[in-house]
Amino acid sequence: MKTLMLGWEYPPHISGGLGTACQGLTTALAKLGVKIDFVIPKVEGDEHAEHMAIIDPASATHLNMPDMNGTQNNHDKQGMLAGPSTTTTVNKTARNIRFVEIPANLYPYAMPNKKYSYVEHFKSISKEIVLPAQITEILERAAEQAPDFPNYNGDLFAEVDRYTKNVIKMAGNSFFDIIHAHDWMTFPAGIALSRLTGVPLVTHVHSLEHDRSGDNVNEHIHIIERSGVENAHTVIAVSYYTRSVINQQHGIPLDKIAVVHNGVYSKEVVQSYKKEKCAKPKIVLFLGRITFQKGPDYFVEAAAKVIPAMPDVTFVMAGTGDMLNPLINRVTDLGLEKHFVFTGFLKGEEVERMFSVADLYVMPSVSEPFGITPLEAMNHDVPVIISKQSGVSEILKNALKIDYWDVDKLAHLIISVLKYPEVREDIATMAREEVRRIRWEAAAEKVFQLYCKILGATAPV
Amino acid sequence: MPSVCFYFQVHQPMRLKPFTFFQVGRDHSYFDEKLNREVMQKVSSKCYIPTNKLMLDLIRRHNGAFRVAYSITGVAIEQMLKYAPEALESFIDLSKTGCVEFLAETYYHSLSSITDPLEFRQQVKMHSALMEKFFGQRPSVFRNTELIYNDQIGDLVAAMGYKAIIAEGADDILQWRSPHFVYRKPGCDLRLLLKSYRLSDDVAFRFSDKSWSEHPLTATKFAKWVHAISGNGETLNLFMDYETFGEHQWSSSGIFEFLNALPSEILKYGDWNFLTPSQVIERYQPVAELNFPRLVSWADVDRDITAWHGNKMQKSSLAQIYSLGKDVRKRNNPSTSDFWRRLQTSDHFYYMCTKWFADGDVHAYFNPYKSPYEAFINYMNVLTDFREYVLGITASDSPTAIPMTIRTSA
Repeated sequence: MKTLMLGWEYPPHISGGLGTACQGLTTALAKLGVKIDFVIPKVEGDEHAEHMAIIDPASATHLNMPDMNGTQNNHDKQGMLAGPSTTTTVNKTARNIRFVEIPANLYPYAMPNKKYSYVEHFKSISKEIVLPAQITEILERAAEQAPDFPNYNGDLFAEVDRYTKNVIKMAGNSFFDIIHAHDWMTFPAGIALSRLTGVPLVTHVHSLEHDRSGDNVNEHIHIIERSGVENAHTVIAVSYYTRSVINQQHGIPLDKIAVVHNGVYSKEVVQSYKKEKCAKPKIVLFLGRITFQKGPDYFVEAAAKVIPAMPDVTFVMAGTGDMLNPLINRVTDLGLEKHFVFTGFLKGEEVERMFSVADLYVMPSVSEPFGITPLEAMNHDVPVIISKQSGVSEILKNALKIDYWDVDKLAHLIISVLKYPEVREDIATMAREEVRRIRWEAAAEKVFQLYCKILGATAPV
Repeated sequence: MPSVCFYFQVHQPMRLKPFTFFQVGRDHSYFDEKLNREVMQKVSSKCYIPTNKLMLDLIRRHNGAFRVAYSITGVAIEQMLKYAPEALESFIDLSKTGCVEFLAETYYHSLSSITDPLEFRQQVKMHSALMEKFFGQRPSVFRNTELIYNDQIGDLVAAMGYKAIIAEGADDILQWRSPHFVYRKPGCDLRLLLKSYRLSDDVAFRFSDKSWSEHPLTATKFAKWVHAISGNGETLNLFMDYETFGEHQWSSSGIFEFLNALPSEILKYGDWNFLTPSQVIERYQPVAELNFPRLVSWADVDRDITAWHGNKMQKSSLAQIYSLGKDVRKRNNPSTSDFWRRLQTSDHFYYMCTKWFADGDVHAYFNPYKSPYEAFINYMNVLTDFREYVLGITASDSPTAIPMTIRTSA
């Protein structure tokens, strides 16, 4: 079984949870024997290259090659591949995944430009604050590694167009059984390719325009999204929550939408960071895009209620986005600048370290299709408070849950978790077990069953 | 002439109201009057009142040959008085038949037997006085909270003059022995009445389980199982929560029809009868001595105390509430003591149990909390208020280790 997967990011070059989810799903699907050609707009070359095969754009015409041939790649320092025919295969799983770069400059969320990076803001609002050494270290490392994603300054829709055309040009004559498109950016390519080849299309909804923008939806994106779910043979939603939003927003019947909850891979690296926790101050972490969808403003308002009762707490907001500036102003207005650290966008190791020093992780999302970060926090033995308006709350038992708007309850729970170490310890113990049961293998198994069903149903007579 | 010995547990805790950290120091009323009223009235109308009516009818119909025993906690009686007096009336009516025995236990359904013997004796005395006041009986057989028992508790109870104690017929304790005889605690003359958990749980847990191979369970079928014990036992101890009738097993499951038909089916075999616990120990001599080296309870499959004393939250909160004993006693203020004791009710700690949380199990029954963590947080906020603002003790003095007076394992 061969799948053409249309994505737009892959670790470590990620702006959100989508890349991580694609990594988890494809790895587990490959173990089930599914051959995957994974198309992304920009291959940097270090996408966990030790276990995957990469083809650069110049060799895109080789997409329908029967199999990988195990040639060693030798990408240069920028991570770009040296030559058109270079591929790498390392193990059996890796042999089933190939990466294909489509030239496009595709970032679906308004990405920050460099002026949002933490350093300036951090200095401007918190001169007097003495930071725990662990956090200072994380910030210094993050500053050295300036954000590596390009700013998207052009016309996003033109980029989607370009991506679509390139996908068709490249894959139009290839053979595969399923087209699996991840989120709206890739939907036009998926639809076009499906029409051209007659291969059934699966559209996988990780996030909806409705989640990202609330009532101010971009009409154009909304329409692309709708045609994606309308033209799909089967839609995959990452939660029952998302399934119901797709149903309400786009009128797609529920029985056409399958729910496949994301999984999580436990990370070995975690152990080495565990000792980094500091006794004081207690650290409460927000980590995610600082945009409407993620509810960062509720985090700040809750902090304003926590501080008078518990002054020895530092609230760390890791991430960036269009609400960063207004929120920094709000923090200053509340007189809480001594209690806040804005780190800017963190990635890779710095994310790990940040989780490991946190005493509590809060995800107050207004609308969260799934939300993988609480699982990462749990992997680090950090207790989590999540909003009930998140897909992940459907599968998590060992988490505290709030309505995102219930700032009083959020504040009360933050204080209680920090104040009573027993609850932190028991949640960590139980969550550690729970997170191990949330496996990508289970998600891949469901997707595989869907593929089989689709192919059975659409097989030529 | 073998006997069926029925004992039913009647208990409703005083549940705490949602109590956030922001209320600490500002609010000293801890209990959820509205919720407690709702639950008591619901359970009274679905279980206590209709089941008592049926029991009274069965006693009259069988001319006193049908007998049962109850253990009713002080906190349940207080709530009946307040929210459902007709339920209490119906228990009083039963007490007048001469066919109903009332057992002793702690007034507050507490875990004091394993943490604070002095407090334990106080609460048992309070309960005994309450039984005498409402039912005109001074109990002579003891039932500990959740049937928690080991040899040390046996010593404690025997020293208070009780003739017998109710306990779980746990497999690892009985080994090859049968629960269908009276046993004696080694070293003193305390008789042990052991729950026959298979037949008890057939009614209490499996009655309406459609996936159970014996479903539907009829009185005829159950009586046949009972009669099969003839010649191999003297007393069949069927111990269960009273809420089995109408609450755990809904009326629509046929549980009341089952109960209605059961006594005559049992009595069909001429040599079978019904006895209350104190009648059983008068009638049958102990066949052997039995050690309980570990703490046994009737909860879950583990039959131990980890449902209340398992995780860190439970161990810490139990240690903290019982560590206040000295200060509370020093005050000698009835209202302060009452607050403290209501916070000892085992249900508060049961709600914090994480063991079966992932499975969403029986622990959910009447549980006001969404998670064990919220149960703990709520309890701790109340406890903090009580300790710091009612008793005036600062948090730094509070223990995190458990001053267990009774060893939790052998």
